[in-house]
Amino acid sequence: MAKYGTNPDAPLPGSASQEEIRAYYSPLRYGWGAFCAFFGFSTRTHRASKKRAKLVADIVTYIVLLFGAFLMVYPFWWMVAGSFAMTSGFTGATDMFNRLVWWPEFTTLSPEAQTGGNLFYNYTWLFTSGFQGGSNGMPQVYSYWIAIANNLLYSVVPVAVGVITSASAAFAFSKIQWIGRNAVFFVLLAAVMVPGPSIMCTQFVMYNDMHWRANGLCLIIPGMFGSIMTAFFIRQFLFGLPTSIIEAAKIDGAGYFRIFVQFILPLAMPAIMAQALLSFMGCWNNYMGSFIMIDPNTSSMINLPHAMYLLTKNLGENMAPAIAASVLCVLPVMILFACFQKLIIGSLMLTGSKE
Amino acid sequence: MEEQVTMEAEESAIESGAVVTDAAYATEAVPKTKQKKPINQQKLQDNIWGWLFCLPLIVGTVWFVYVALILALLLSFTNYNLGTSQSMMEYLFSGGWKLPRDTSLDANGLPVYGSDGLIGRPDLFWWYRRVFTHTETNTSFNVTYNEMGYYLFNTVFYMIGIPIGMILSMFFAVCMSRDIKGGNVFRVLYYLPCVASTIAIVYTFKIMFKETGVINQILGLAGEDTGFRWMDQGATRAQVWGELIPGAGKKTGDFYTNPFWCQGIFTKLVIIIMSVWKGLGGTIILYVAGLSGVNAATKEAAQIDGANGWQIFWKVTMPDLYPVIFYNIVTSVIGGMQIYAEPVLLNNGESWLTSGYVSLIWDYGINTRLGNAYASAGAAYGMVLAVMIAILTLFQFWLDSRNKD
Repeated sequence: MAKYGTNPDAPLPGSASQEEIRAYYSPLRYGWGAFCAFFGFSTRTHRASKKRAKLVADIVTYIVLLFGAFLMVYPFWWMVAGSFAMTSGFTGATDMFNRLVWWPEFTTLSPEAQTGGNLFYNYTWLFTSGFQGGSNGMPQVYSYWIAIANNLLYSVVPVAVGVITSASAAFAFSKIQWIGRNAVFFVLLAAVMVPGPSIMCTQFVMYNDMHWRANGLCLIIPGMFGSIMTAFFIRQFLFGLPTSIIEAAKIDGAGYFRIFVQFILPLAMPAIMAQALLSFMGCWNNYMGSFIMIDPNTSSMINLPHAMYLLTKNLGENMAPAIAASVLCVLPVMILFACFQKLIIGSLMLTGSKE
Repeated sequence: MEEQVTMEAEESAIESGAVVTDAAYATEAVPKTKQKKPINQQKLQDNIWGWLFCLPLIVGTVWFVYVALILALLLSFTNYNLGTSQSMMEYLFSGGWKLPRDTSLDANGLPVYGSDGLIGRPDLFWWYRRVFTHTETNTSFNVTYNEMGYYLFNTVFYMIGIPIGMILSMFFAVCMSRDIKGGNVFRVLYYLPCVASTIAIVYTFKIMFKETGVINQILGLAGEDTGFRWMDQGATRAQVWGELIPGAGKKTGDFYTNPFWCQGIFTKLVIIIMSVWKGLGGTIILYVAGLSGVNAATKEAAQIDGANGWQIFWKVTMPDLYPVIFYNIVTSVIGGMQIYAEPVLLNNGESWLTSGYVSLIWDYGINTRLGNAYASAGAAYGMVLAVMIAILTLFQFWLDSRNKD
């Protein structure tokens, strides 16, 4: 996308001076040429400067990108603004949820209905109410807190342990020579070709037989064994580290375990962190795992997205608390992403370009 | 000075340990009789630790993927359900599936189970035949359809989003990789929907596409009960073309009376818009990475030769980007075949108008809507999905290999 219009390096007719060109073309045509040149397009009457062409192209690019960014970001802002609305049913055209909201508003209900309400009405409701009843299932109050705690459990423990086991496997695959190394690696890598949903039913029966469903172990233990894709990316990173470090440590008498803990883990920290963050986000947003494996009528171990699904089922038309819940569900990962965006995007670009 | 000397001594000691070159140190450090052993010890250590470090990953992958796959394959030929008194292993390996054949079926066309939930399979490929031939009838619209056909149609219809997303993200990626300030900021902003939870986004879209929602207000179609229904899936409220087209109310063709071709299409469009919006950022990052790898020298040479921006893009950039695009297509098709959460969340459950193929696995294998969780049915549906994805992927690689010749 270097240039627009015709090639500015091409000569204008003959070696005519600007006055001759002006005399040759009609004033209208000449003016049009000046107009085009102003916007970076060369015509027969005027040659636009490269600088101008680039400036105009840059401005157009910015406008396009800003418009796209608006489309990408605005729904989130709308979510935040809407989470403060006190509304139910929202069928009117002026209701907050039916407009393009630019700023949080207190309420759209009639003054009588507002009594007792405040700006954080939805959040208060969310944190003090329950939304799934059941004798052994989710309790009737504070169920949102339980869901948050469960979600933290499901996304911290398996990721923290899993990324270490993946890194240890990556270390073995990249830095240790052992019999069967490549065969094992490719057998494990082939597992990514098995689509998750095609074995999800069998896994369900398996976890059911092992009694891992009601206590939530089915969302913790499998993740703790690590994942081959994580191991694959850390392995790629470890290939870039010089083997001489390990050799030197070995000669100094360090065993492989010590090498792994004291050298590999700190050195591969960028890759490990990036993979851990990506898996954390995946686990935090893992709707399907909890929805399939855990029955909210008999267990309170559901995760946050699943709780949000139940929330709207019980709320019906009144979606305002659900939007507040959405904000709270999205916020942690957004903050995490904002803090580590360089690491995460860098890792994504690396893995993307690897293929 | 003393320190230096000791350090040197240590260093040479280290060298002698690794490769026995310095005879004097070697004899001191390692006795002659044990000279060969350290090498074997090292190899042994390598093997032990190599396997040990990999053990968790091997156990996890074999247990939760390969064993599950083999069990799924075995289950799909048998007749197991979750209501039985036997566990899956007992059923499979103590002969539960050898029970006498029974061909009686219940009202839903599913096998009837005894009080202990055990019964032999009607036939070895019974579930597979059912996958392909089962028809459902929707009573409120009087539509009889092949279940797999409709659900698979939904899945494939969602794939319209793949080319749309690719073109859009290519456009934005090209804009971002221009020599402008703040390209990184845009990359981050565009990636935001990717990190957000699907369910949060679904709620936002659900409200925006309500009958009285923002989208309808902008399009001038809003109204409490008269507004355009993008998403209402209720049995009586789904729209049909006979209602929407003026004067077509009396036409009786499948196209005019079957909501699958009207309401189903509109709801699927919402889901396509949503998934394109959500997936754009990831693809952009992929393409930006690919674009930064395009050979700048070739580009410059083309420029000097008089090629314009458009020509450079098609003749220089695109061929260099081909691997990235191919990777993107393959992964998106694999992911697209497994679409599940978005339609289900948007409609508060499964629906024949929108749900993808994976919903069938869930509905038969895990859900107890039909009285039982028919694990064998779920396994059979899953195996068919795995084969379909494998064939699609192989087909793409075959196209790719043909392209290269």
